[in-house]
Amino acid sequence: MKRLQTLSIAFQVLTYVVMLFALYAIFLYAPVEKTMGVIQKIFYIHVPSAFLAYLAFLVTFIASILYLIRRETRWDTVAHCSVEIGVVFCTIVLITGPIWAKPIWNVWWTWDPRLTTTLILWFTYVAYLTLRRSVKENRRANLSAVFGIIGFINVPITFFSIRLWRTIHPVVITGQGLNMSRPMKFTLMWTMVAFCFLFFALLVSRIQIERLKLFIEEVTDIMEDMISKNSERN
Amino acid sequence: MDNGIYLFAAFGITWTIIFAYVFKLFRDQRALGEQIDHIKTTIRRNIRIDGGD
Repeated sequence: MKRLQTLSIAFQVLTYVVMLFALYAIFLYAPVEKTMGVIQKIFYIHVPSAFLAYLAFLVTFIASILYLIRRETRWDTVAHCSVEIGVVFCTIVLITGPIWAKPIWNVWWTWDPRLTTTLILWFTYVAYLTLRRSVKENRRANLSAVFGIIGFINVPITFFSIRLWRTIHPVVITGQGLNMSRPMKFTLMWTMVAFCFLFFALLVSRIQIERLKLFIEEVTDIMEDMISKNSERN
Repeated sequence: MDNGIYLFAAFGITWTIIFAYVFKLFRDQRALGEQIDHIKTTIRRNIRIDGGD
């Protein structure tokens, strides 16, 4: 247990260091883009955040399937925690996007397919979290798992929306790979790695908290049961 | 550099959201710690009552 805790702390410190290097790469290493200027640097947090939101929802999708097959609470916990973090990253995407769009497109928001599908994606998973709070405990895990599987349909739709429909959203990954200079590519890749570290650090912490919460609930129930039995005996 | 304010806003908001979430996790952890302390106290009290019988 102590070894696991040390590993967890070491991973968090590593995340911090990788993130500092990512910030260095964004502001000091990556060149300023000629047409957009400094505003292009938003791209280095916008794209990894979108990638991590998709990854988080993929984790939920897999964990939900595993829960329905194995009926183990731990998969429900993983699915729930992953959605929570996915919503955090999706929120970042929905905020940084319009901030980039205002000086470049001259509007904060437009009902472009990519923007609209991302907003629907965000609402879908916020609904997942709301559902968990509103449904009774005995049905919560089952319903959430079904929702986690069906809701994932939105992820490929959002990702391919810029290829399926006419859009003004920039296409980052083309048939020729990443269409940008080498330092920009390196910065993007490094930021992706840093955000992945952040995602896993947050996910591990969140799962640990959730498991502890469930354990405390169980212990409290047993204890209350014991106390009531004791008072009946006396 | 006239768009610097947008860049500052984007990074500022991103880190505020991440730190707010980390703070929420920290607060949850602290609340669970308090609950564990409460359970410990209740168990100790009950052991003492049982011992008294």
